[in-house]
Amino acid sequence: MFAEFTEALFSIFFVETLINGLLLGGVLALLSLGLNLIFGVIDVVWICYAEIIMLGMYTIYFLHVDGGMPLILAAACGVGVTALLGWLTHRLVIGYLLQAAPINQLLATGGLLFFFQGAAMVAFGIEFRNLGVSLGSLAVSEDIYLSWTRLLSFAIAAGVVVVLYQFLSRSYLGAAIRAISQDREIMILMGVNTKKLYLLTSAIGGGLAGLAAALLALQYDVHPFIGLSFGPITFMVCVMGGLGNMVGGFLAAFVFSELITIGGYFAELEWGYVLAFAFFIAAMFVRPEGLFARKS
Amino acid sequence: MRNLSMTRRLMVGLTAAVAGFAMTAVATVGQAADKKIKIGVIYDYTGPLAGGGSDLQALGAKIMIDHINSQGGVEGYMIDPIYADAQSKPEVAINEAVRLIEQEKVDMLLGFYSSAQCVPVAAKVDSLKKFMWITTCISPAVLKGRNLKYVFRPQVHGAMFGELSVDFLNSNAQGKLGMSPKKLRVAIIHEDGPYGSGVAGGNEAAAKKFGMNLVLKEGYSATAPDLSSLVTKLKRKRPDVILHTGYNPDITLFLRQAKEQGLRWKALIGHGAGYGVADKLYDALGNDVDHVFNVDPVSIWLLDPKSLAKGLPAVTAKVGAEYEKAKPGVKVKSAHVGMAASNAHVFFTNVLPRAIKKYGGIDAESLRKAALETDIPEGGTLLGFGVKFPKSGESDMMGQNTRASPVVMQYVGRKVYIAWPKALQTIDPVLPLPKSSPYAK
Repeated sequence: MFAEFTEALFSIFFVETLINGLLLGGVLALLSLGLNLIFGVIDVVWICYAEIIMLGMYTIYFLHVDGGMPLILAAACGVGVTALLGWLTHRLVIGYLLQAAPINQLLATGGLLFFFQGAAMVAFGIEFRNLGVSLGSLAVSEDIYLSWTRLLSFAIAAGVVVVLYQFLSRSYLGAAIRAISQDREIMILMGVNTKKLYLLTSAIGGGLAGLAAALLALQYDVHPFIGLSFGPITFMVCVMGGLGNMVGGFLAAFVFSELITIGGYFAELEWGYVLAFAFFIAAMFVRPEGLFARKS
Repeated sequence: MRNLSMTRRLMVGLTAAVAGFAMTAVATVGQAADKKIKIGVIYDYTGPLAGGGSDLQALGAKIMIDHINSQGGVEGYMIDPIYADAQSKPEVAINEAVRLIEQEKVDMLLGFYSSAQCVPVAAKVDSLKKFMWITTCISPAVLKGRNLKYVFRPQVHGAMFGELSVDFLNSNAQGKLGMSPKKLRVAIIHEDGPYGSGVAGGNEAAAKKFGMNLVLKEGYSATAPDLSSLVTKLKRKRPDVILHTGYNPDITLFLRQAKEQGLRWKALIGHGAGYGVADKLYDALGNDVDHVFNVDPVSIWLLDPKSLAKGLPAVTAKVGAEYEKAKPGVKVKSAHVGMAASNAHVFFTNVLPRAIKKYGGIDAESLRKAALETDIPEGGTLLGFGVKFPKSGESDMMGQNTRASPVVMQYVGRKVYIAWPKALQTIDPVLPLPKSSPYAK
């Protein structure tokens, strides 16, 4: 048992596991960015966020496979459609619930989750669809190969964090978004059109879901229930990083993914998730506001 | 106040929409006839299992029910099916089974794709003294050691799947791979529900019996979003052969991550479910799927018509025609459709007529007595195998068809061939994996 453990620990494959953890972290980070942005500014958790990603994946699939559109263009359209969905979600649902109790807001976005799932099932059927595109892998050594799709996810997640950070800290609109997230009431008194800013934030959050959809569509089958695989983990990553804290969520994604892959490497795969969830529960006891939350 | 009423309207609207979707999942088909046998037909029409094969099984059962009704029913009884959706959730399957029995007053239940649903539902239905005819779910745990009286499964059980793939390896290791079976490095990976565990149990027992080198046996959740750690472990263990049991999203995820991470093997043998939907595998992975093996009851369209009893080839052809009508453009006909159609056909053409004629009714006791007397020889079903259920005390798996047997199939050039057993071979198995495959060792 101990010999097996040490052999696994000092194997080249442990290095691969660590790298795979980082790359999975890139996927989770990308998934959590939009959700965190929306919560940070609007103070509403979109339970249906993974379903918006699912609809983005369908958009890309149909445009590319059935419509023959180049993949990059289809991905850009996917981002546009999810941005519109984000805008509509706020315009038609969340906007009316801003003053409602948080449980009502959760129930409404939960209802949207079922609505999106059901609508996708009725419209597209239950079949698994696949882009059939593989970007291949990068051979690092004879034993280690890294997926280009995952490397791309990692790079895009890191890039988006930098761009968003710059946008929020340096642009006028970004400053307004940050200000409104700090005090919603006072900004109205100062003449700021909060409705417009919320809609803009929702559209950006939705657009980020489209970006995640473009990368997930390269790795996973598209079906109405794909959100079930990612929704809960994305939400946990956001909570662990401190809901609304984008940098915190970004870092938490890597903590979470490393726990999953390392746990899954040394024990059975499911133990990786047990380890990650146990860590999450312990972290919630020690720092209920999130591991990387700023002091308010 | 305005916002609150808007919110209420919105919530009511959303609830109505969700309820509407739930209701569309359950459809009732009525038949105008004096006598009817009301059958609750339960499969997964929604949720991940639907696309993983359940939808195709449901189609097979429906084709057969429609076919029987188009022939005038059975001994004066028309089939009155009530289709219900288990939504890929065991708790929904139990609730639907109870609802159909207690509220819809069905005479019996038929169907069930997922073993995770079958295990609890079978016990519940038996305790309610209702007859249950399982067309699909294969886990040994459904019947083993439970001594159920009213539950019957003409289908092959999971351990048989697991044993056959290893038997196939044992018989071909020396001749095809140039290795003694004892030197063969075998890895078993499976989804961790009763289905995957049951098949993997059969794999493991047989591998140990033949003295093979079992380098890894591991279960995982079929909804796991990442299998990279499992692939890394497999790379470290360097198996020659991987025995895999899974549904659909997890199979394509595994194959994609295996390719990207550079996992290599000499043979990959799948065991039904997602591996039985060849079209989807080819759509997702292209020609990389070539030379993958799949253990399943045979695809009914692969059998030599001459090996079947008189009249059966015509039924096979009709099922195929209806399948193509329901799913236009299908390239490789899935074994799933034929499986449910055949197993339903056995009930409607053998068990039910005997229950009505000999035992005078369609109550659970009559159906049970009729099922226990089933004695169909090889070649007597669309799937080719015979049907016989053990008498009381003869087996620890009461209700299991003792004459059922799967085959090993191989996908080559988007076509399905029978690779094992030798008597049914339509291809000399391509083994080891040709170097042209990205997975070739």
